[in-house]
This record gives sequence, structure tokens and C-alpha cells, in this order.
Amino acid sequence: MAGPALRWGADPSGGAPYVFTDPANPQSYTGFDYEFAEALAHEMGMKARFVATDWESIVASLQRKEFDVIIDGFEPTEDRAREVLFSKPYYLFRLQLTVRKNDQRINSLEDCKKLGIPVGTLVNCASSRLLDEGGYKSVGYQDPVGAYQDLELGRIDAVVMDVAGEMFYARKNPKLRAAGAPFHTGAYVVGIRKGDAELQKKINVAIDSLSNNGTTEKIFRKWELWNNEQLSLRTEKPAEYKVTKSSFNWSEGLIKLSKAALVTVLIAFGAMLIAVVLGIPLALGQSNGGAALRTLCTIYIEFFRGTPVLVQLLFLYFGLPVIGITLPGWLTAVVGLGLNYAAYESQVYRTAFEAVPARQWQVAYSLGMRPAQAFRRIIFPQAFRIALPPMTNDFVSLFKDTSTAFAIAVWELATAYRELANATQSYLGIGLVVCVYYLAMSLPLAHYAHKLEQRLQRKSTGILSSGSDK
Amino acid sequence: MITIKGLSASMQGAKLLNGVDLELKPGRILGVIGPSGNGKTTLLMCLCGLLPFQDGSITVGGKTLRAADSATRSELLWEFRQKSGIVFQHLHLFPHLTVLGNIVEAPVHVNRVPKAEAERQAIALLSKLGIEQHRDKYPEELSGGEQQRVAILRALAMNPEVLLLDEPTSALDPIRSGDVRRLLQEFASTGHTVVIVSHSVRFLKGIADQLAFMGKSEMVEMNSTSELLENPRDERTREFLRHSELN
Repeated sequence: MAGPALRWGADPSGGAPYVFTDPANPQSYTGFDYEFAEALAHEMGMKARFVATDWESIVASLQRKEFDVIIDGFEPTEDRAREVLFSKPYYLFRLQLTVRKNDQRINSLEDCKKLGIPVGTLVNCASSRLLDEGGYKSVGYQDPVGAYQDLELGRIDAVVMDVAGEMFYARKNPKLRAAGAPFHTGAYVVGIRKGDAELQKKINVAIDSLSNNGTTEKIFRKWELWNNEQLSLRTEKPAEYKVTKSSFNWSEGLIKLSKAALVTVLIAFGAMLIAVVLGIPLALGQSNGGAALRTLCTIYIEFFRGTPVLVQLLFLYFGLPVIGITLPGWLTAVVGLGLNYAAYESQVYRTAFEAVPARQWQVAYSLGMRPAQAFRRIIFPQAFRIALPPMTNDFVSLFKDTSTAFAIAVWELATAYRELANATQSYLGIGLVVCVYYLAMSLPLAHYAHKLEQRLQRKSTGILSSGSDK
Repeated sequence: MITIKGLSASMQGAKLLNGVDLELKPGRILGVIGPSGNGKTTLLMCLCGLLPFQDGSITVGGKTLRAADSATRSELLWEFRQKSGIVFQHLHLFPHLTVLGNIVEAPVHVNRVPKAEAERQAIALLSKLGIEQHRDKYPEELSGGEQQRVAILRALAMNPEVLLLDEPTSALDPIRSGDVRRLLQEFASTGHTVVIVSHSVRFLKGIADQLAFMGKSEMVEMNSTSELLENPRDERTREFLRHSELN
């Protein structure tokens, strides 16, 4: 029977075992939430229609009416309660801490706190809020794959995740082990738009009958996630579970944003340093090198200019560990952006050096200067003047490109914005604050660069000192 | 003292100089005339060691540069280059340095003369030419004539044996004016040599005490200025002088 459609939203990327692309049939999806949604719609006399969305902004997408309900291991939290209605719980979950097999230091979250070890977890979910609330250091990930991979590679030392995710991604990994028993009972509910109270009622009735007639049990047994704790959902009494607390504390939020801004500044300056220095040999190699060197430099430059910086960062972050080089996220961002911008800087230098007349070299030589000295004292200062405005432009772009580091779990300003805004649903307020941060960093930079340009320009054109003739 | 023997230079297959011989005693100002494109500038570039040549040798102030050495970055080449200073047609002052900076750059950073001492000498030279008030200006703030004086002083500050000037007629007035001329003559009279290349006979007549005429890629004849102008021996010289404005 095919009644009206129940459009339900979930994030299928890295979404196993909730909702994910069916490996046996990549055209369609599978997962326990997928099966549950089908069953739920069926129970309500509706037809389930899946809408793929992004986990971080799932509540915002619900508000934009891209779908009618959220079914994606969605936990009730205080902040979400302000934005959405919750159904009755259809599954009770627990959290599991995972560490590397050979790491004997950690057996609980308290150990992490004592040792000052940051804990990896998914952004925008109960465990991340729990960590924040408990004052633990945390690292947010977009999906469980990245978190467990970084754990395995030693980029982080502990990951906390819903048991469902932990079972699917970590339990079979021989390099990892569960630290301590599962803890903290939470619930998965269906998220419904405020105002859809009618729909909420219908869903609650359907969840009750799915629980009581054993359909829910069948689904979760299939996914090896069934336990007797779930039986408490069958009673008419409301089940007992904890609502994760969360409230946005502005002063703490600003401290977090400031830290993220500092990371952004460090990445930008670190990358620019690499770009400025590495650009010189690239430019020299391309314009003065032998045939082989020239070709190599050209390949490098065209490769980095011709592929997206985001792809380069992902390649460095996930690709290099394959050949045994594992860099932490922030260093990957510095190196990746540095290598990328070196290609651009080399072209700025080449143009600048070509703009200095060859006669300047000859005059320097005729005065007895060696090539290195002529370069340093005569050619470089003139080329620098020509290169400065495009370099300033590049630096400002680089500042903005640091935001690509969010893809490799670096807590810079853009990541901070997404996470804080998603956690609080305050896209506008926090967004404005983040813009102020970016401007506070880039405006002084542009201003200083402009001053420097003017000063150098005056020197060579004499715009200013025409009155000094006595 | 300049001695050139069998100097041949070519570039990309084109013969620019073909077996040029020249001998010039210290204390002389030599003018090199001839139609454009006959190798005058090439001769200057070879003389100051900036252009590799294929055959022959050049001796300046006791340093001899052979063809084989002219193309390599040898110690000899650096030493040879310091024997002469050159002032290009378009001067090419260092735009990022002040007048004073242009003059003391090489003495301070190549010869390691203390900066204060180099500046003292530079200011003395500047006042000799009456432009010491411009010492802190940048090249673009100066007139063409002032720029030329600075370029000459920049070359002289390294105390070369020979001063080479390429087509200085673009700022004709200053080079003929009393103080620049006196400076060049004073430089020559202390045992140095000056070579000025120009297509303008009228200009060279007033300053050179010897003239050389260059035909296509070769040195046709050389004599005292008055002798060459009044009794040119070669038909090509006569032909060139006929078409030049002399007065």
C-alpha cells in the first residue's frame, strides 16, 4: 500500500550502521534506521521517502522543510528541544570509549581528563555535548571513519562513540580495543518540526506498536544491536533515559572562537612562510634551470595550480599515512596550503624578476658584484617591490583558504563556526562574530601591506619628497 | 692602458666584431664613431667583461682576458670586470637606492670600504659636480643630466682604470658642460683612460683627444681627433664624415 509520503532525512556518508549505501547494491541504502523508517512509515500507512542530507546541519534542513522528520540516531538534547519536537524513543543506546590495543594508560574518560588527552567524537551529537559538559578536551569529526582512522594512526588517543557506530567501525579492528564498559544511556528519537504536533502523535502511536509487536526487536537483532534494556520501551510508562544537557555559554564560545582564530592565524602564517620560501627555488628552477629541472618545476607548479586545494589536503591527510607518513591535521594544513601557495608565489616571483631589466644585472657585475650579491642587493629589492601587491592578495586568499582545513578535522575558525552554530542553531549570531574575527585578522594585514607598498613606492618614484630640494 | 688583439665576437651566428685591434695609452679620452649597428656597443661590452667573445684577447690595466675566460665565471673575470666602469646609454641607476646609496653601494659591499668613509668620498665627488644637495633623492626625482652625473660617479667610485660611456648624447649637455668634462679630463690625467662611444661626431669632437672609426664589425682607422677629422685615410671614414653634421 502506498499512502502519502513520509520524507525522512539522514546523512548516509559514513553513516553505517544507521543509514548507508548498501555495499551489495550501491543504488540503494541500508542500515537499521533505514529499515526502521520503512517500518515506521508502513505502520503509519505512509510511504517512506529517504532524503540524504548533511549530519551537521540536519536540524536546519528539517526547518527548511527539505524533509518531514529526522531518523538518524537522533538524540534528544536541550538545545534541540528548542528547535524540534521529539518522538518517544525507539532505541536506547550507550556510549563506548575506544583506544589503541597497546595503549594501557586509558581505561575511562576520567583517565583522559587526568592525562590531558583529547577525545575524538562526532560533532553535533550526544557524546560531543557530554564531553563539553564534563569539561573533557575533545576533537570533533564529521564521520566515525575519520575518527577511528586517526585513532589507529595515533593522531588522537581515544574515541568515544555510540555503541552502534563503535560496533560497526572499531570492534573488528585488531589494533583497537574497547576501554571500559559502555556507559551513559541515551535514546534515539524521531525529530519533528515544531508545530507538527499531529505528526508527533501519529509517530508516537506507531513507535509504540512497533515496539510492542516486536518489529523493532527484529530490526535491531538483525544488526546485532539488540539488548534487554530495549524491553523497557515496551511498557506504557515512559522509558527512563537522560536528556543530554547543552546550553551555549557565550563567554566560553568566544574563548573557543578565539582559540580557533589563533589556529587560523598560525596555519596562514606557517603556510605563507613555506610558500614564500619554497616559491624562490621553484621560480629560479623554472626560469634558469636545465631542461630536466625546468620540467620538474613546471609539473609541480601546474599540478598544484590545477587541482583543488581541498583534494590536496585530503590526499596528504589520508593518502600519506598509506606510505607511512602520518602528520597531525594542523601540520597537514600548514604543509598542504604551503605547497599549494608556493606554486602561486613562484609565478609572482618569476614575473617580478623578469620585470627587472637585465641591464641592472650588468651594472651590478660591472661594479664587481658576484651573482649572489647582485641578486641580494640589487635585483631582489626591486623585484620585491613589484611582487608585494600580488603577494598581499595571495596572503589574504590564503587566510580564507585555511577554512578548507575543516575537511581534515582541524579546529580552525570555519570549523568552529559550523560546530558552534550547529550546536546552538545560532547561524546568524555566531556567523557575525566569526566574520568579525576574520576581518579583525585580514584588515590589519591588508592595511599594513598597503602602507608598506606605499613606502616602497615613494622610495622609487619620489612622489613624496619632491619638496626637499633646497 | 687598453690593448685589444684580434678581438672577434659573434652572437647567434652574426659576426659583431671581426679581428679588432686597438692600443690606447693611459691619460687619453678616446671617441669611437661609426654608423649604428657596427659593433661599437659590442666593443664596450667586451671591454668591461660583460659579453663573451670568441677570439682574441683584451688587456685592461694589466689584466688580460682571453676568449676562453670571457665565457666562464672565473675569478679572473670578476677581477677583469673591476678594471673598468661603464655608463650605459639609459644609465640604469638603481631605482631603490638614493643618489648616495647608488654611489657607495659597490665600494661598501664589494670593496668593504667603511660606509662613513665611502659616503665622505661620494659627497666630495657630488659637490665637484654641484649636485650634493640631491644626495638623499631617488633617481626618478632627478633630471636626465643629473642622473647621468650620478651614473658616472657610481662608476668612478670603484676607482676603475678605464671609464666607458655608451652613447651619452641622450643627456648631451651635462657631459659637455664644464664640470663633467673637467672631471673626465682630471680622471684621464691621473693615468686613467676614457672611451666614449657615439654616433655623433659633433659631440665627440668637443671632448675626445683621439678618434677611432668603426666600419662594419671592424676598426677601420684611429688617429688624433683633429687628424682623423681633417685627413681621414679610409674611404669609409670619409663617406661617414661627409654625412655627419660636424658643426
